Amino acid sequence: MDAGLFAQYVMNGLMLGMMYALVAVGFTLFFGVLDVIKFSHGDVLTVGAFAALASYVGLQAIGVRSSWLDLVVMIVLSTAAMALLGMVIARYLVMPLRSAPALNTLLITLMLGTVLRECVRLFYPQGANPKPFPALLPRGSIDFGVFNLRFDNVLMLAAGILVIVGIQYLLNRTKLGLAIRAVAQDEETARTMGINFTAIVLITFALGSGLAAFAGVMNGLYYNEINFGIGLYLGVIGFSAAIIGGLGSIYGAILGGFLFAGLQIVGTVLLPFASAYKDVFAFAVVIALMAWRPTGLIQEKISERV
Amino acid sequence: MSALLEARGLSKHFGGVLALDGLDLTVAPNEILGLIGPNGSGKTTFFNVITGIYGADAGQVIFDGNDVTNASGRSVYQSGMSRTFQRSRLSLPLSIFDNIMIGNQKRLNQGLWFNLVKRGNFRRELEENFAAARALVELFEPSLADRLSEPVAGLPMIDRRRIEICRALISSPKLLLLDEPSAGMTHDETAELMNDILLVRARNENLTIIIVEHEMGVIERITNRCVVLNFGRKIAEGPYRTVAADTRVQEAYLGAV
Amino acid sequence: MAHKTRASVWPGVTALVVGTIYLIAVLAAEKQALIIGLLVGGIAVVVAATWLGLFADVGKSFTENEDTLDGCAIIAVLAVTAVFHENHFVLLLVITVLLYSVATLGLNIQFGYAGVLNFAGASFFGIGAYTSAVLNSQTTLPHLLVLLIGGLLAALIGCLLLLPVLRTRGHYAAVVTIAFALLLKTFLEVNDVLGGPQGMQVKGMSILGWSFNDNFKIAGIAMSFYMNYFVVSLLLLVGAFVLVRRLERSWIGLNLDALRLDETAASCFGLDIVRWKITAFLIGNFLIGIAGALFGMVGGFVAPNNYTFADSLILVSILLLGGIGNPWGLIVATIIVVVVPEKLQTIQEYRFLLYALMVIAVLLFRPEGLLPRPVRRYFSGWQP
Repeated sequence: MDAGLFAQYVMNGLMLGMMYALVAVGFTLFFGVLDVIKFSHGDVLTVGAFAALASYVGLQAIGVRSSWLDLVVMIVLSTAAMALLGMVIARYLVMPLRSAPALNTLLITLMLGTVLRECVRLFYPQGANPKPFPALLPRGSIDFGVFNLRFDNVLMLAAGILVIVGIQYLLNRTKLGLAIRAVAQDEETARTMGINFTAIVLITFALGSGLAAFAGVMNGLYYNEINFGIGLYLGVIGFSAAIIGGLGSIYGAILGGFLFAGLQIVGTVLLPFASAYKDVFAFAVVIALMAWRPTGLIQEKISERV
Repeated sequence: MSALLEARGLSKHFGGVLALDGLDLTVAPNEILGLIGPNGSGKTTFFNVITGIYGADAGQVIFDGNDVTNASGRSVYQSGMSRTFQRSRLSLPLSIFDNIMIGNQKRLNQGLWFNLVKRGNFRRELEENFAAARALVELFEPSLADRLSEPVAGLPMIDRRRIEICRALISSPKLLLLDEPSAGMTHDETAELMNDILLVRARNENLTIIIVEHEMGVIERITNRCVVLNFGRKIAEGPYRTVAADTRVQEAYLGAV
Repeated sequence: MAHKTRASVWPGVTALVVGTIYLIAVLAAEKQALIIGLLVGGIAVVVAATWLGLFADVGKSFTENEDTLDGCAIIAVLAVTAVFHENHFVLLLVITVLLYSVATLGLNIQFGYAGVLNFAGASFFGIGAYTSAVLNSQTTLPHLLVLLIGGLLAALIGCLLLLPVLRTRGHYAAVVTIAFALLLKTFLEVNDVLGGPQGMQVKGMSILGWSFNDNFKIAGIAMSFYMNYFVVSLLLLVGAFVLVRRLERSWIGLNLDALRLDETAASCFGLDIVRWKITAFLIGNFLIGIAGALFGMVGGFVAPNNYTFADSLILVSILLLGGIGNPWGLIVATIIVVVVPEKLQTIQEYRFLLYALMVIAVLLFRPEGLLPRPVRRYFSGWQP
């Protein structure tokens, strides 16, 4: 394989890994803070992407022609809307079920995901069909032999890295982050230290859901297309990534995301006959990893006391 | 007379916390041993390690002559160790009878053919076990003996503890581990429960018991001997009166004087 | 032990008779307005009956007269079928209910008893169906054997999928089965050998030369060819029902409950967690596969689009709505979930959304479902 092709694969891997990592971090945040598997996370991503699309349509309708303005407004609106949605989900669906078996929360969020997905499919105009997503980033590119380095990919990669670094900073260097980590460690102690548990939970959900919206927009920009099922697909990948990285660990989620993307790339190279096989390959390896290291590559937090 | 259970240099750590620190402990057959110590001294961890819930990081556990270090929970149960839990772990939606039967795994025929097809034989086994469970419950609380089909969820704490002990006893274990059986009970209820345990013991002299307790009255009354733990190590042993008078034990509980 | 007088069998019989007549009415109705009216009326009656405490009486009647009432239920099904003996559409609907019930009973063993999550139920159903498609067209194996193979294949593949994640927490099985559900559909679509996105035809069943796909007459009365399939489906459901009943009412059922409710404690008492989870998953998938194999032959056609993740969620919804662990609740829920969208064509499109919303409501307000699972009674009429 020549260097140009290799570089292309690496670039693809980085882009995909970035998106998976963003989704995986969301899962890990929810699990960390509330011991909750929020299966609707992927579908929140879908709704976020469609919200962004709707904002774009709206902006076009009122005559806005600046791509940068479009982009900023879309990101702000979808992120804010999804943050709000995340808080509503936390407040009305997840928190009331805290005393019920964990299974019930898993099921309710799974069903919620279906509701979100179906609402997009049924109620967004032509929602059942894939919808084109505007290409709002600068279109130029540089050729390095076979390798075509696109500016928009570089920008997205940079943006993604910025967001992840931002999350890390938030969690590790701010008081809010400290509160979130405290709650994730031990709810009772955090409460006795004066932390407002409900507020932290809502903020964490808002954060994770906002992240999902951002990932949704990125996904739309990358593929220039969105459909009502992308969230489900990315959600399963993101969740698997979070698991093999180690649920509860942000680094683990990021690692898992890039690992999954890497596996998909390897799968594409090894099994070029149909793109579906790259996923089969990647998941097969992931399942094997789960069997070998059930607690994840970076330790999953233990929440059971015997 | 060789020990029924022997722990040698048993160590277990969780992350940075050393829960068991080279613990040496022996339990003689047929004795009732009290295991005491301040909170966090490693008593429940000790139970969890010897019953196979956690693996030991170092040391050995010898039970009835066999090395059971790091053995699975299942094989420890099969060799005759049975326990109750600090936090009551009954299956709440299931009936009293069901809960007790969960403890009787080694006596129940688990074959698919037996359970699904040979219903006549199954029924016979069912009724035998039912009689056994009933007899055991009657020992502890006669009023429950006719209510074996009730779900456990509706029972008060003291009855739940009794059912847990029945569950642990139904398989006729050699060693019974009781983890704070009196937690959540009043003085009178505790006294009642202890009488029941002594009664069971009287009927079954082959039973050895290790009891973890915070209620010193209980320890004083029913144990032959005590072992005191602190920070995962044994700091004293002997009859209750002796260890209660030991200054190191007093310091462990109350702090340096 | 105080001897209680046995609850009368009549509340149960009455409920069955009323229910059967109601079902026949709904199935026969053609006008959408009439159907909506019947459905609203039905809900009103149920709510009133619950409020008046009538359901408690019916419940007791059923639990204490099990054998009689189970028999009456079979008669009820036969009555419904007799009324519609020439009606292809209704008979197909009845068969669908029967086979979905078998599949959900299988799911119930995995999920309701053993607590193993399976979000690929429809995929395994599809594996059974595709087995029929392939074996019926490529081989001359007797069709009953094909059903068996469908079940075994679903069981085997399920086992391969589950084994790696058995020692882990519940959500691993969830994500693995969801991934499988998504990937299987894509896999089927890219493989033209299996018909690709268009799917494959399935040759109809025939046993000992009797072709199932021909209409026939008994004593001069014309019967839809679906009657053939109906008989086999009913037998399958009765068999599955008895199996699930006996499984629950045995030491095995007890073990499954124990490991679902508290794995750690269960292993302290000698339970082999891995063995029982695998057993439950295998038996469950076997039932799902057989039902799928038969369904393939009934419909005459298999396509990847019929066995998607959304369809798997429908099966899970039936389980949650009906009452996890209660076979009767399951069957009632299956009837509702299958019949209503078929009769009320306007909501067909919205059925995934509607059922998801209903399950959310159930989980929030009545997690035990329509018919909660009663305490185990090892033999009908025998209580500990």
